[in-house]
Amino acid sequence: MKIHQLFIDNACARDDEVDYIISKLNIEPQWVENSQPVYDCINNSKDPVSKAKQLLFISKNRGAVVKECPGTSYYTCCDYTILHTGTFCTMDCSYCILQAYFHPPVLQYFAGLETLAQNLDDIFKKKQIFRIGTGEYTDSLIWEKISLQPKFLVEKFAKQNNSILELKTKTTNIESLLELDHNSKTIIAWSLNTPGIISSEEKGTASLTARLEAAKRMESKSYKIAFHFDPMVIYPGCEKQYQKVIHQIFKYVRPENIVWISIGSFRFMPKLKQIIESRFKNSTICYGEFILGLDNKMRYFKPLRISLYKAIIKTIKEYAPNLLVYFCMENEEVWEKTMGFFPKLEGELGHLLDKSAVKHCNLNSFFL
Amino acid sequence: MMSEQLYLINICDIDLTDQRYKISFTHDCDIKSLAQSIKEAGLICPPIVRQSDDKYIIVSGFNRIKACINNHYETIAVHKINSEASEYRCFVQAITALAFKRQLSQAELIISIKYLDKFLDKKQIADKSAAILNVELNVRYIKDLLDIAALPEPVLDLIHQGNISFKTAKKMLSFQKESIKSFFKIFDKIKASNNKQLEIMQYIVEISKRDCIELKNFLKNQDIESIILNKNKEPVLKTKLLRDYLYEQRFPNLSKVRKKVKKKINNLKFGNKIRLSAPENFESQNYSISFTAKNYKEFKTNVKTLNNVLENKKLKGVFEQ
Repeated sequence: MKIHQLFIDNACARDDEVDYIISKLNIEPQWVENSQPVYDCINNSKDPVSKAKQLLFISKNRGAVVKECPGTSYYTCCDYTILHTGTFCTMDCSYCILQAYFHPPVLQYFAGLETLAQNLDDIFKKKQIFRIGTGEYTDSLIWEKISLQPKFLVEKFAKQNNSILELKTKTTNIESLLELDHNSKTIIAWSLNTPGIISSEEKGTASLTARLEAAKRMESKSYKIAFHFDPMVIYPGCEKQYQKVIHQIFKYVRPENIVWISIGSFRFMPKLKQIIESRFKNSTICYGEFILGLDNKMRYFKPLRISLYKAIIKTIKEYAPNLLVYFCMENEEVWEKTMGFFPKLEGELGHLLDKSAVKHCNLNSFFL
Repeated sequence: MMSEQLYLINICDIDLTDQRYKISFTHDCDIKSLAQSIKEAGLICPPIVRQSDDKYIIVSGFNRIKACINNHYETIAVHKINSEASEYRCFVQAITALAFKRQLSQAELIISIKYLDKFLDKKQIADKSAAILNVELNVRYIKDLLDIAALPEPVLDLIHQGNISFKTAKKMLSFQKESIKSFFKIFDKIKASNNKQLEIMQYIVEISKRDCIELKNFLKNQDIESIILNKNKEPVLKTKLLRDYLYEQRFPNLSKVRKKVKKKINNLKFGNKIRLSAPENFESQNYSISFTAKNYKEFKTNVKTLNNVLENKKLKGVFEQ
């Protein structure tokens, strides 16, 4: 969605970073004392979620810049570290939890490259491996065309050896990153889905082919790649469609350049259903066979998840037997029945991912 | 304005067919006891009528007049509303007479609002609601009531009989007329609580959306028709059968597994004192077992049964889904 309004917090310095965004957006900014005018503007709209996607608020991050992934109880988490660079998204995926997560949702860009640098320097001093991503509360590359931040992060990570930066996206916004000296410390990850789901549920995102072409271009510049099948949606014929996507992946990217592939099926807080029903009248995504999971989120009935996962994993392994495939938020039975093992110990899955990061991104293996 | 005086009029001069001011949903009520009461204690609260040409139109007291007819009275004491009084005034009299006698039912409230809406806007109705309806209403709720009033017949009868709740009726507002009528047909034949009504509607809507069947076509589904039109089954049983059917359609795989596991557990013959329960929705792997025992002997018998079941080769199969 196009940005129609730009608000900037008075607390932000009028520096190169902010000026760059203003010049690229070509919108007269409204400088505000606090976030109230932004909230008012969004809340007074008939559809606050859609409104929020057209209104950018550049502000200071007043909370934690670095966070641990919240995960969820009863299901195994990958122990990811979140670099909090902004919130919400300009794309409009029907299933997006961010619609229900923020009250109200605000498209925020946290200005302050210095703040990011300070926080990252603290991490880079530690003697352990970190997998850091910016794609938890937003898409990592939505601002690539109008912001200096992605470039700054890639170059910052290039100068250390205990952390990788994972930029997760559904866009093809890679131009400013192509020629950077990334030193293999940045993984560009694409969230993938079947063409059917992309066209029906992922409004405003790049097509599957466009994403894979972008991945190929990044690979040609020696970037490491990752893919995330999350959320997988179960519908008639989905198994074959997802298998086709996997065939496509390996037509574009060499297995050895893929650091990992994650898999997770659609799950949602019950309150998201109402939002999807009201904002996406033609979507049938929440009418699958969902049950209330142990973490109070709706999940597909387990045998359905297992059946789809088995087919997908088998297809991936046919192309890349050694490629690390992992689940985002699944339980012991699902792991055992589909992967044949379960990372039971605390941090075990994280360690597997760290090892893959070390191997692919030339991190210091001493920190493992 | 209504006269303070009482008038004695001939009952045969009252037009019983004109029910334009009728608010109450009591056409199916038994007036025998009211007739008896009038015989015993007299007509304590006289009806209100309005003169129209050579006839009287009832404004309030439809049942009292019926009861007097039942008692074969020829005359009745009434309050008369001036024939020049406005329609609005008559409706207000009709509504307040009932609303300050007893709390209006949801259906009566809807009818009353519908009448008032002819003369007042929603804000005015809200402002006067306590004085006319004996209950304070806000504009938003008045709008909901008016929307429901616009639903096709017999919405008010169904609401009055408790076959559809206010929430159910409100949910129907987004459906097409034909679908609404089909839902009415379903709810007319079953007896379900508010939550069950909403569940039935939700499943029907979700199945039709999921399977890309137009709602009005799905509602003509033969399986649904055969359940609701079965004359040999009571409404409560029909509700259960309909819910079971819809659940199976909405959650086909889960239903199958549930049935399979239930059958396997039943085959183990635990008896009625021991209960083996599968994990809810099979998301966790934890089965639970419980039994009750009044005394040591019963406890021992249960343990013996459990030991016997342990030897049963089919037991393992219960845990393998």
